[in-house]
Amino acid sequence: MARVLIVDDEPNILLSLEFLMQQAGLEVDTAETGESALAKIDANPPDLLLLDISLPGISGFDVLERLREQPATRQLPVVMLTAHGREVEKEKGIALGANDYITKPFSTQELVARIEALLGNNNRLE
Amino acid sequence: MPPRQHLLGLWLLLTGVLLFSGVGVLLWLDSALKLAAAQRTTIWLLCLLPGVLALVIGMLLEKRLFRPLRQFQVLLARLVAAPDAQSDFPLDGWLSPLQPDLDQIREGWRGDRERTRIAHDEGAAHAAYIQQELEGLLQILDLPLLICDEHQRLLLFNPAARTLFHDQPALGLGRQVSQLLPHTSLSEALHHLPTDGTPRQLLLPGDTRWLRCELRRLDARHGGALIVLHDTTHELEAGQRWRRALAELLPRLRGHTGSMHSAVEALLQAEDNVELKHRLVQAISEESRNLAQRVGELTRLVESQQLSQSALEDTWSNDLFQALQERLATQSIKLTAIGIPVWIRVDGPALLAMLELLILRLSASLNTHSLDVEVLLGNHRVYLDLIWAGSPVSEQLLNQWRTLPLFDDALSPKVSDVLNQHDADLWSLMRKPEARACLRLPVPSSLRGSAPRSTDAELERPEFHDFSIADLPPPDTVQAGTPLTQLEMIVFDTETTGLNLRGGDRIISIAACRIINGRLLAQDSFDQLVNPQRDIPATSTSIHGLRNEDVANAPPIDIVLPRFNQYVGSGVLVAHNAAFDLLAVRMAGDECGLTFDMPVLDTLLLSRALDPTFEGHGLDALAERFQLIFPPGTRHTALGDARVTAELLLALLPRLRARGVNTLEDALALQLRVELENKR
Repeated sequence: MARVLIVDDEPNILLSLEFLMQQAGLEVDTAETGESALAKIDANPPDLLLLDISLPGISGFDVLERLREQPATRQLPVVMLTAHGREVEKEKGIALGANDYITKPFSTQELVARIEALLGNNNRLE
Repeated sequence: MPPRQHLLGLWLLLTGVLLFSGVGVLLWLDSALKLAAAQRTTIWLLCLLPGVLALVIGMLLEKRLFRPLRQFQVLLARLVAAPDAQSDFPLDGWLSPLQPDLDQIREGWRGDRERTRIAHDEGAAHAAYIQQELEGLLQILDLPLLICDEHQRLLLFNPAARTLFHDQPALGLGRQVSQLLPHTSLSEALHHLPTDGTPRQLLLPGDTRWLRCELRRLDARHGGALIVLHDTTHELEAGQRWRRALAELLPRLRGHTGSMHSAVEALLQAEDNVELKHRLVQAISEESRNLAQRVGELTRLVESQQLSQSALEDTWSNDLFQALQERLATQSIKLTAIGIPVWIRVDGPALLAMLELLILRLSASLNTHSLDVEVLLGNHRVYLDLIWAGSPVSEQLLNQWRTLPLFDDALSPKVSDVLNQHDADLWSLMRKPEARACLRLPVPSSLRGSAPRSTDAELERPEFHDFSIADLPPPDTVQAGTPLTQLEMIVFDTETTGLNLRGGDRIISIAACRIINGRLLAQDSFDQLVNPQRDIPATSTSIHGLRNEDVANAPPIDIVLPRFNQYVGSGVLVAHNAAFDLLAVRMAGDECGLTFDMPVLDTLLLSRALDPTFEGHGLDALAERFQLIFPPGTRHTALGDARVTAELLLALLPRLRARGVNTLEDALALQLRVELENKR
């Protein structure tokens, strides 16, 4: 079973997403800050990261940058999650190495489809 | 002619010597010779005669020749310095036969001047007409404009520019644009403007405001440029406030919507997990609360933005009513404006159309052809009441009216649109005190307070342009060689707490006016009271009339002096008895780190140089001599004295020129010579 780490500082969305991803057949772990997410990835790397941009402390972009700097996590699929609808942020996320980008609010179906596509891709790469 | 004292001394000495030597000779003869009584009398007479003759001839010469000569000298000086002075005195003594010739010369000189003036006036009348038309246009133009020549000296600014720079002493004709707007980008852009007149845009940041300016090269002889200014501080701030608020609010809205959306999806799939369902319902309730709050914030933001963005302008209520009355007169409806007019902030044309429509409806439904209208100040708004005798109209009817289009057009705005635009509504009620009904429309009030400025243009004709400045030598020309008539001169005067500057006396008032191109600018002055931060002695108050309470609220010298320095700019300083005023200014400058080391002309020294034989070179004596007039109550005020000093300087200039003193260098040399002679 593929394992997903969801990073978001809103407890309500974490609660819903955790349950919905589990329903979609994924193993789920959660983190509320960038720092704790990095620690969790270090200890036990997930198969995919669902990363919110606005986080207290270091931002989602910072987390992404650090992941791409390290060989161990350079290939880790990352889906950026954001409440900003600006096209330029999407560009920035992709430029910094995000694999996909999804804007709040989103439908679970769409999110799951993207995650599955990425996991499939990654599997094929391996 | 030697000074009066010298002549007097010489005469007394001669008389004395002759008398005493006569007496000496007499005593010697008397002792050496044995004289008969008749011989003695003759010898007495012979010995004393030279002395007595010298005494009498001297008196005669003084009365009949020297005094008239001195009068003649004053008359000549006055004729040159103040040709139109009217109070002339007649020549007397042996010069009185010259009176008709002098009168002839004077009349001829005045007649010539008068004829020249008439010719000049006639020639200028046509130009003045065009000038007046253009000035009128510039006066009412709200857009601040500056015109500078190729050396970036100001040739013109309009009243809107004066309003924009009201706190800047550096705004003045002939001043460098860089003194007013010290931005390198501006002066470079002015240097490199395209010759075909295409405009360049610049944004000039400042401490308190941002100016957007448009620069355009003018196809004029002076090769200068037009600068159109626009204070964008308010727009930029309002725009930034709105964007910042929106940038903060929108992600939060999306965030809460996202959380809620996901929670609903999760709830739909939760089936029989009761504990999860409970937490999800809690999450949904919390997020919907957050969402409602954010939507409220967004609504307020959009409304305030609409209000600030729409074309609402400050309008004088009476102007609006007058336009409305004219429209209604054609429909035989009489509208009477009552109460006190105020400024309101409205979209005039839209409001006019809506009020006309509402009044026509009111008139039809109330069956009246006469209504009153009044504006009342509310807390943050102004109530616009349409008043009639009778009872209020129903809310149901008003609801119908809200949906009415303003014009017969499918795209026409409705009454409700105009109301929304003004963030307003309509309701009808009884006005308590007078038992009449009204239709009340609350509209935004304006921040403006006073009544609109009088449109009588004759009241104020400030000097805001002088294109002859462009003919002056470039500003980097060495000042020393500049003709006095082309110099920018700042004539100043100070009032102080006393005369002992080194002993702690301080400036309490400083004023200055500007001479440019040999003209004293009437509207261009600097006049500031200064709090000396010490008591003003009563003896000093008796001279200038300033009391402690007059200067209690004035700024201290370290605020005033930098502004004075800005006003002086690169001009030459002028004062009467400059040594005193300059010491006052330089000592104050030492305290606030400013140096005043520009050349200084002193009208006292110049006057002494021109008329060494005259007695009295004080400001009062000179004003009297050249018939310069202090407006009532301005003597011993800094500005009054500075203005008379300026006029005095202008009166001395032709006489200096007649003696070959043409440039600043010449005048300074002349001044120095007098100073050294005085010291000797």
